[in-house]
Amino acid sequence: MSESDMALRATGVSRRFGYRYVLKDVSFELRGGETLLLIGHNGAGKTTLIRVLSGLLKPTSGTVHRTGSIGMVAHDSMLYESLSARENLQFYRKLYACCETARVEELLQIMGLSEHADRRVATYSRGMVQRLTLARALLPDPQLLLLDEPLTGLDDSASCLVRDMLVGWRAENRAVVLATHQLADVVELASHVGYLVAGRVRALESTDGRDAHAITARYRELASVV
Amino acid sequence: MSSSLWSTAVAVAAKDLKIEWRTKTAFASSMVFAVLVLAVFYFSRDPSVVTSLDVAPAALWVTFTFAAMLGLNRAFLLERENRALDGLLLTPVPRSGIFLGKLLGNLVFVTVVELISLPLFALFFNVNVFHALPELALVTAMATLAFVSVGTLLSAMVVRTRFAELMLPILLLPFLLPPIVGAVQTTAGILVGRPLNEFTGWLKLLGAFDIAFVAVCFLLFDSTVEE
Repeated sequence: MSESDMALRATGVSRRFGYRYVLKDVSFELRGGETLLLIGHNGAGKTTLIRVLSGLLKPTSGTVHRTGSIGMVAHDSMLYESLSARENLQFYRKLYACCETARVEELLQIMGLSEHADRRVATYSRGMVQRLTLARALLPDPQLLLLDEPLTGLDDSASCLVRDMLVGWRAENRAVVLATHQLADVVELASHVGYLVAGRVRALESTDGRDAHAITARYRELASVV
Repeated sequence: MSSSLWSTAVAVAAKDLKIEWRTKTAFASSMVFAVLVLAVFYFSRDPSVVTSLDVAPAALWVTFTFAAMLGLNRAFLLERENRALDGLLLTPVPRSGIFLGKLLGNLVFVTVVELISLPLFALFFNVNVFHALPELALVTAMATLAFVSVGTLLSAMVVRTRFAELMLPILLLPFLLPPIVGAVQTTAGILVGRPLNEFTGWLKLLGAFDIAFVAVCFLLFDSTVEE
């Protein structure tokens, strides 16, 4: 892989909390246009890995190398509930210093939030918050997207929107790391799948057109030999 | 100061003040606390034994510091909501800009609380603060900068702990002691009409604390917010 293609490289990444290792010696590379689907049981280390990849958590050992800007969707929205959707995005726009006000309006439009843009986030439903979280993540026009359960709380139309976005990002040569339990919704959009078992990436393979059942069966097989 | 640092600070401070303006959570509790402390000090004194000027400087600074502490606590607690602090840290802004923004927001908040508390103080203790307002403003500004800078850093430090609201006063009080002693001594002199140049020693000390506290907190903030 040439350096210019590389969007993300994790080398020997480990992370421990106290004496307990949550990630152990994780290494992989991701190029622009690739989508890595991370699967694992609860507590397997998906969220910790995504936080380490984002730079929010420092690895105990190992290195993470990223190129370009990052957009991240995590379990928490990172939004201010006392501000409106528009004010939240305007605030982040100022910090990213990345785009014009029109970009905020465009994202509100794409996410179907234009009509509710001046309402405080505290009054939003779970799905609306998740849409706004996606808008926040997309604000800096990121080259690398780290998505931790991005479909949580979304209705069918919003889930379709995210799937369409995943297809679009692939065409736009953006790299995506996606952790989800809703395999069936996204598996055909992923180029690779990483099987995370007890903090280790047991295998990282091309999806090769496999469906959710085949990937789940493969995960069980890998998890059973720990 | 780079434009990025300054624009980050202004954006963060404006956001914090906008949230406080809407919710008024810290402001309301600070003001209730200020009135309560002034009332307690007022009624605890026997006017035939203790003059109001004997108690006034202590009452003023207890009011200022503890009312301010309620606001300082709030500064990073609102970043804990929905892990908004992560959102800030993901942006490519200098982290020291976030600290400066928080410091700026806290200074505005504490200044407003002090501006409202001062006439109340004058009313409760029947002290004419207006004859020496510039001197009092100078001392208040110097002491406020010292304790708000440390308070802002410590607020960031304790925000991830389970008992953040309890931890802040415990950690902050030892740092508050030297500047507050200086402020109380100088305020006592100002209120009885002594000239400010009699207190240059205390003012130099307050100035030294300001420079040291702001510089150290500015430098330490990066590692404070790292997980």
